[in-house]
Amino acid sequence: MDIDPSKILVRYNVAKEKAQTPEEMAAELYPTAEPARTICAAIFDGEEDDVIEGLEKAIEGGADPVALIDDVLMVGMKITTDLYDQGVIFLPNVMMSADAMLEGIEYCKEQGGAAPKPKGKVVCHVAEGDVHDIGKSIVAALLRAAGYEVVDLGRDVPVDEVIAAVKKESPMMLTGTALMTTTMYAFKEVNDRLLESGIKIPFQCGGGAVNQDFVTQYELGVYGEEAADAPKMADSIVAGKGLAQLKEQFHKH
Amino acid sequence: MVKRYTSLAYKAADDMIFGKSVYPVKAELGLEVGAGYVTAEVNYAPRPEAGVSKEKLVSEYRRLTTDIMARAVQIGFPAVSLETEHVEQMTNNPDWGGEIAHVQKTILEEYHEEYGIKCGLRHTPGDIRENRDLLALIGDKYDVLMESFEAVADAGADFLSIETMGGKEVLDYAILRNDIPGLVYSIGCLGSIDMTMIWEDIRKIADKKGRIAAGDTDCSQANTAMFIAGGLLDKNLAHTIAIIARAISAPRTLAGYEAGAQGPGKDCGYENTIVKAITGCPIAQEGKTSTCAHADVMGNLVMQCCDLWSNESVEYHGEFGGTSVQCWSESLNYDAAMLNVATETGNAKMLRDILVLSDKYRDPQGYVLAYDNAYKVAESIAKDGDDLYLRAKNAAIACCDILNDADSKKLVMSKFEINALNDAKAALDAMTDESETFMSESVEKYKAEVAVFRPDDNYKF
Repeated sequence: MDIDPSKILVRYNVAKEKAQTPEEMAAELYPTAEPARTICAAIFDGEEDDVIEGLEKAIEGGADPVALIDDVLMVGMKITTDLYDQGVIFLPNVMMSADAMLEGIEYCKEQGGAAPKPKGKVVCHVAEGDVHDIGKSIVAALLRAAGYEVVDLGRDVPVDEVIAAVKKESPMMLTGTALMTTTMYAFKEVNDRLLESGIKIPFQCGGGAVNQDFVTQYELGVYGEEAADAPKMADSIVAGKGLAQLKEQFHKH
Repeated sequence: MVKRYTSLAYKAADDMIFGKSVYPVKAELGLEVGAGYVTAEVNYAPRPEAGVSKEKLVSEYRRLTTDIMARAVQIGFPAVSLETEHVEQMTNNPDWGGEIAHVQKTILEEYHEEYGIKCGLRHTPGDIRENRDLLALIGDKYDVLMESFEAVADAGADFLSIETMGGKEVLDYAILRNDIPGLVYSIGCLGSIDMTMIWEDIRKIADKKGRIAAGDTDCSQANTAMFIAGGLLDKNLAHTIAIIARAISAPRTLAGYEAGAQGPGKDCGYENTIVKAITGCPIAQEGKTSTCAHADVMGNLVMQCCDLWSNESVEYHGEFGGTSVQCWSESLNYDAAMLNVATETGNAKMLRDILVLSDKYRDPQGYVLAYDNAYKVAESIAKDGDDLYLRAKNAAIACCDILNDADSKKLVMSKFEINALNDAKAALDAMTDESETFMSESVEKYKAEVAVFRPDDNYKF
């Protein structure tokens, strides 16, 4: 027994696929000047060695290593993340590009002895009692790729430690991820302890069992349905949006 | 030294069917799994606030267990099985899990005695073998985990299961980088090594307590890949990569049976059809009636060879139709009734094929897991069954070959999926045929690249 599946299902991903390849689309976005074009292509391809080689040439040619971070590395990364946001490329491409970009940034910092100012600082953690951290790792990578400084507290982070880190680092946003229904309950305690301390920063929560209904139960909570929402939320904060506006933007259900 | 499978339990793919397995298992209160009928396996999670104390958790499980049993007899279902996946408090404090198992089993006994309903109880301790920053597969946490198994077995859990995490520290790195050798190493090699160790010990406990060492699932790895891959329009992982990870997970889950598991395999092991082809042991599955927990792209297909039919998990709370566990257990039981009618009327294979064809061409994942193709993957595993590396690599190659040979007018893949598949196949073709070479090179590579990978502390190579 077999069927013609065309009346049973629709492969919308195939139907909506763009005619251009991702590589062709990226090539249209690279800067025209060299070595920026080659470095951006190497970031898009996730080729760490080629990124460093390009940077070496640029510095030999007189480029300021610190300026290269903003003017070339971040530009190349933005091409990658923009194409990801447009649904042209997939997450592993972004992760490999981020690895290459971060290696490039380290190299530039070593060469220049300084680093450019990040767009903002975000503290990331996985809820106490929860060791599932791949979601947090993706969030942290996407935030770094978007130019934010990330203080990664790791997984199974006690509430006390989260509060202490927020007090010490004064981030613009806190993120929390959890897989389990019982561990995500720690988010409420984090919220209460932050409020007790007079701290009112957006607390982006997401992952596994976390849902919008739960996150709306505490004042600072903003639900992040996708890991890719994290840099978008940070950008909105930089643009001046407050808690109510963030909830309006990201609470989609 | 465990005996590895080098042949299949079924002579032909067409012999595989829902509700029947070559080696059924029997629980204490009359329930047989894989003995000719499908039974609902109801899963649930406590409300977040229930975890604050032992008393609250015990009360939560008492209430939801009573709810499920009450609904089962109200609607007239002949059998039901329950699965309790531990929240971490229940495993880290073995007496908590033990008391909950006792409370649940007592309720099942009361219903069995009064109504004759056949019942089973699975307990699935959490894999607590982790420290704050690192996996800790061997050592003190392992001992606590075994105490938890002893406690729930003592208290009456019929089926002992777990979702182990061996290899996950490397998988989490590899899957986000399309690293195919990394998938073979993390799932096929490290996962299988850990499975072999832990399932020998679970079987010993089961035998000592008169319980059944049921089975594992590669939830922590292949399901991570599947969930990252998401739906058709999600852009986080090519579905062709997700199904390669799934194919590799079959020999890994098989290792549990080689070390003593008897089934029913765990519900979220979408690799279970491949595993059943080799072992002949019963399996639990989940799909269209687990949408309370997650979405997949093969909700009907995955019923094809199930022996227990599960809802994966649902938070305990109220719905219009009763509590959530009542609503979902009712849906599961109606599904089981439909499957069992097909069996009783001689239409089982017809229904199986309808279920399969409704999803087979929806996605590369369902295509490979359709029982005819799953059987081919199983054959590739058994061909080199004695070699953990080669059989994992074989499974990945078989998966690629099945997709490359697919009828392109029916399974239509996107350019992105095809490119990812071609890259994966090229990576597989470049891999050595020498296990020792692969293992020694991989351990050095991932020690260098994955900061949290501590092979000497976690694996008995």
